[in-house]
Amino acid sequence: MWREIKKDGERRERVPAGYWGLEDMKIRRLLAVWAAKLSGFACKKMGRQGVTWAGKIAMRIYPPILEELSREVRRDIFVVCGTNGKTTTNNMLCSALEAEGQKVICNHTGSNMLNGVAAAFALSAGLNGHIDADYACIEVDEASTRHIFPAIRPDYMVLTNLFRDQLDRYGEIDITMNILEEMIRTVPMMKVIVNGDDALSAYLAMDSGNDYVSYGIGDQVMESGTSEIREGRFCKCCGERLNYRFYHYSQLGDYECPRCGFARPGLDFDARDVTVGDQIAFRVGDRHIVAGCRGFYNVYNILAAYAGVRTAGFSGDHFNDMLKHYNPENGRMEQFRIQGVSIILNLAKNPAGFNQNISAVMQDPAPKDVIIAINDNAQDGTDISWLWDVDFDRFGEDNVKSVTVSGIRCQDMRLRLKYVDIPSILEGDVEKAIRDRMKDGTGNLYVLVNYTALFSTRNILKKLEGELK
Amino acid sequence: MKITIGHLYPDLLNLYGDRGNIQCLMKRCLWRGIQAETIPFELDDKIDFSRLDIVLLGGGSDREQMLVCRKLRKIQKDFRAYVESDGVVIAICGGYQLLGNYYRTDQGMITGLELVDMYTEQGEGRLISNIVLKSDLFDMPVVGFENHGGRTFIKDNRPLGKVLYGSGNDGKSGCEGVVYRNVIGTYLHGPLLPKNPQLADWLILKALQKKYGPEVSLEPLDDTQEKEANDYVFHRFVK
Repeated sequence: MWREIKKDGERRERVPAGYWGLEDMKIRRLLAVWAAKLSGFACKKMGRQGVTWAGKIAMRIYPPILEELSREVRRDIFVVCGTNGKTTTNNMLCSALEAEGQKVICNHTGSNMLNGVAAAFALSAGLNGHIDADYACIEVDEASTRHIFPAIRPDYMVLTNLFRDQLDRYGEIDITMNILEEMIRTVPMMKVIVNGDDALSAYLAMDSGNDYVSYGIGDQVMESGTSEIREGRFCKCCGERLNYRFYHYSQLGDYECPRCGFARPGLDFDARDVTVGDQIAFRVGDRHIVAGCRGFYNVYNILAAYAGVRTAGFSGDHFNDMLKHYNPENGRMEQFRIQGVSIILNLAKNPAGFNQNISAVMQDPAPKDVIIAINDNAQDGTDISWLWDVDFDRFGEDNVKSVTVSGIRCQDMRLRLKYVDIPSILEGDVEKAIRDRMKDGTGNLYVLVNYTALFSTRNILKKLEGELK
Repeated sequence: MKITIGHLYPDLLNLYGDRGNIQCLMKRCLWRGIQAETIPFELDDKIDFSRLDIVLLGGGSDREQMLVCRKLRKIQKDFRAYVESDGVVIAICGGYQLLGNYYRTDQGMITGLELVDMYTEQGEGRLISNIVLKSDLFDMPVVGFENHGGRTFIKDNRPLGKVLYGSGNDGKSGCEGVVYRNVIGTYLHGPLLPKNPQLADWLILKALQKKYGPEVSLEPLDDTQEKEANDYVFHRFVK
């Protein structure tokens, strides 16, 4: 392929497309940043989709844009990987670094594939095409590490956990682990900040040979359900069944291999005196941490962010202040109040996450209505069999006054509930489901949705909020 | 009447909502007033096949199958006798592959149970999709989800059904699964049984007839919700 470039205003010259002069590259890069900004602006109405487009356009105009812009970050680049908790952990880490007075680039919306990450950088560049940032906090989809790691060469990686998720996309959890390990090894100077309570994540960190620090919850906080699906119950090193002193949930807990000695690593950041209710409180070393959010799993998210900011060399003195003002507005336990009805929206996209969600909902003893919306678009995973690995029977309690199933695969969801003797109302249209329960419900509504249903449902709730003031 | 289900190695072979298959068999018995219990077996447990009416062998990752296959040889003889005396087996995905003579993978050879004369070889890429079958055994289409790297060749055995949408055993023959005596092997999870109540009832009926005599029949259940979920998949992918 050939293209024409203008030189000296007059003379045209034909050069091979692979050849770019220095000036030409600078211009292309500028163009890429501007085009990304323009499309990002134009697509703002499209929500998250727009961000991905901005990245795609920028990469098309100037392929090395991600590599070059990421190199301009003055201090370090964090990546956050793992099945659950990526977005929350990453956003908290970003806020924590900002609270320490740092300028941070972050893919806030959770667009964590190559285009989304490219967009995060391109959109935060100035009109001069350069980045002005001390840190970058980037959540990365596990399979996309193959494209993103070589470009940005991260300095730290937070590894939250590994659960079964989107098996249709990744094949098996083993395949995801192989990709991650291979990519960790390509950046040998990168320090891994790993959830030590997860045997799979800890094994990856140890086996990769990279330097690592670990975080976890040292002692048992509450009894874990016995029927939960647990991954990796067999030692990754030798195949023997792991012994557990206790489980926190799913396979997270204190484990040890009786044969080869593989065990939970000593915890560098150990959450003690954990209490979970309307708010979360715990102690790490001599720092007491308090956050106004629900859900036991959030202990891990907060702890991971704290471990990150400490590992980067900060004291964490501003961490609690940050938590006080932390309001992600991204559909993770997001609260709405519309015409006197309390509505909590939360993402639940795999068995481990859903079980934790159910625990959080059931911690509220008040009468409630529940809407569950399940889609099977590509980003959700087209295989919805995981619904049967979720312990929905816990919605059988008296204070759950109604369950409504919605989304593309509402019939599957209804059938799932039938087999644990929970009758449900079928309403494929999420908006109608919400409006109906607002009218005839308890005034306390929980809306649990999987990935692609999240953005549309959030938009619906925002719309209702405006409409029904 | 009573049915005892043996769930083989749920610790290792528990991918893709296999729990739903057990839940479905149990409920469809209990709703009819048939007693039902499930016994989960771990790798080192001794299995007394004479106590079992249905055996469920689920799916696992290739690595986990490798762990299982080392132990399977020990029960092979008893398992075979169970199958040859018309014991009921439902084997899914990884479990389906283990029914055969072997599964050849990049990582090595997994020796199978040799219960059905068939074999599996690793193919290029995984076959991942919703899938719909037409089976001679049932009026309703069989619907589910497949996700497998292996290609299974069933030789002269009878397939479970003809593929209307999806890939099936090997992506080429147009057939999916295998039926041998009272054994059904298939790649379909989703899980298989809740959306295919006729298949679930086929297993229950065969088990009851073997135990209590050929005159046993099953009371019909209200399967409206099952049919609607099945219908949805059929119409979305076939017509």
